[in-house]
Amino acid sequence: MALSGYPPPVHLLGDLGMEAELTNETSAWVRTRATPHAAAPDGGIRAGVLATLVDIVGGAVAARVLRPDWMATADLVLEVTGEVHGPQVEARGTVVRRGRTTLVIEALVVSVDDDGHEVLVGGRTPDPVAWASMTFAVLPANGREVGVQAAYDLPVQWSFTGDGLSAPVFDVINVIVEDAAAGRVSVDAHPYLHNSFGAVQGGAMALIAEAAGAEALGAAVGGTADDVVVTDLQIAYLALGKVGPIVSSARVLGPGPGGRLGAVVELFDAGADHRLTTVVNVGAVPVGLAGEYGSTGGSR
Amino acid sequence: MTTDESSRASVHLGSDGEDVELIRRRHVSDYFRIERREIPPPEGVDGYSGFSGRIPVDDHQRGAGDGLRAGGLVTAVDSLGGFMSGLAVLPQWIVTTSCMATISRLDHVGPLSAQGNVLRRGRSTVVAGFEVTDEGASGVPVAALTMTFAILDPGDMNLDFVRPVVFDMPPLQEHGLAPEEFFAIEPGEGPVTRLRLDDRLRNPWGILHGGAVAMLADVAACRAAQSSRPGLGQAAATDVVLHYLRPTKVGPLEARCRVLGHRAGRTQVRVALHDVGADDRMVALASVGTVFV
Repeated sequence: MALSGYPPPVHLLGDLGMEAELTNETSAWVRTRATPHAAAPDGGIRAGVLATLVDIVGGAVAARVLRPDWMATADLVLEVTGEVHGPQVEARGTVVRRGRTTLVIEALVVSVDDDGHEVLVGGRTPDPVAWASMTFAVLPANGREVGVQAAYDLPVQWSFTGDGLSAPVFDVINVIVEDAAAGRVSVDAHPYLHNSFGAVQGGAMALIAEAAGAEALGAAVGGTADDVVVTDLQIAYLALGKVGPIVSSARVLGPGPGGRLGAVVELFDAGADHRLTTVVNVGAVPVGLAGEYGSTGGSR
Repeated sequence: MTTDESSRASVHLGSDGEDVELIRRRHVSDYFRIERREIPPPEGVDGYSGFSGRIPVDDHQRGAGDGLRAGGLVTAVDSLGGFMSGLAVLPQWIVTTSCMATISRLDHVGPLSAQGNVLRRGRSTVVAGFEVTDEGASGVPVAALTMTFAILDPGDMNLDFVRPVVFDMPPLQEHGLAPEEFFAIEPGEGPVTRLRLDDRLRNPWGILHGGAVAMLADVAACRAAQSSRPGLGQAAATDVVLHYLRPTKVGPLEARCRVLGHRAGRTQVRVALHDVGADDRMVALASVGTVFV
């Protein structure tokens, strides 16, 4: 992106494939293609992939707004709200509030065609695919935390292009399930998943949490991870996951209203004294309910 | 202005015409009758205190799901998390910047039990995590919440506490006001709901208590969901994400809702909260998931 050499040629962001543009000083969009290897069990796009998308659009806006300072994602919320209707989805991010120490960004994910036009269904704009919000902690350029510094000449347009996902995304990032009911999975912190700090990227952490939550919740309903669809991720990033492997545990909250499912997933850096790096509230629905959408009516 | 001067106010509560002296710092936690206990780390262990709390769930506070409504749950746990995080940064103090809550159970027997810890204490922020169970229902899980607090200079606020901090459960309040009345939320329906900024709802810094913002987001989202799908019954909030952006100083506070979508029985609502009297600036942003009960 703005940093030379990042991401490297073989990287999750390149394989997901993203195009981006800063539309003004406080807004940007990032698009990715809805591919089968990024699909959730109901055919939609995995929440963790959408979280990766909104993290990138949030980071793009934050880098522009905060330069020459840098930032780290402190929290990220993603809520899947509607169906995917187009060949691509576009996350549109904009600044909600810039404070001295934090920046809050909101993003809406919508379905678009290959020309970037919003897809219409029955002459109307369908409900958005997802809503997201993010808080970024500001890292002063002269502060000791900053290992990188944003360039003043940030590009207005860029793309991450790789070979594409060669297998389902959980297989590509190599999620190893150790105990499904306990939500225990393990993922090596390899450079394929790194951010510009050399730690596991925030979107990849979201994918690991999605995998762990789905394993635990699938087991809780007497099935497997493919029997549930993760619809909500409430992520608090506490520390970088640099050494690895990143390992997880999950506590199931029990069946909720309307058959909804919830779990608290914790991610640890096993190679760094098992340090707690991330806490994620994961929401899901059984796959049989996941396709039950009702339109809000949209807009013409 | 000293803390004692700023924290006491004579206010009018309810319709009985009686003025009641209240302590602003505890006004909202007294309404929910929150018992608060500091749990110091074991001797010889370097760390921050945890916190436990109990919330009785009085009948007049029950929502459509027959339990403490989400706005109340967020307010109560924010009160616990804020106190715990404040103690972790003394002599500084904290202000809530965001809260993420997922609620797995809407009907509560009570009392609810909340247990929390400091997850991270950074240079400028504290992150706290809480899990809530229902003591009256064999300890079933009710909710999980993660909150972020910004560290600030407390000014002349009195921060002398006897440690470990213990606040027993306050007595039942006779006024019996429902949350909408207590938090001065105007009756109505549809996508816009207003809250009057009554003086009694201000915190010791003179701004609107964060609990009032949370309750308004909850009530407004439920009204918007009901209007968008009439005939399905009453809506109750199951998930709340709330970003506190700026203080609410003037009022009224207006919640403007947009229904984002309906999926698997849940209606997701975006709520933008604006301080109408302060150039209509946006002071908070929320997303609330609701179900019909």
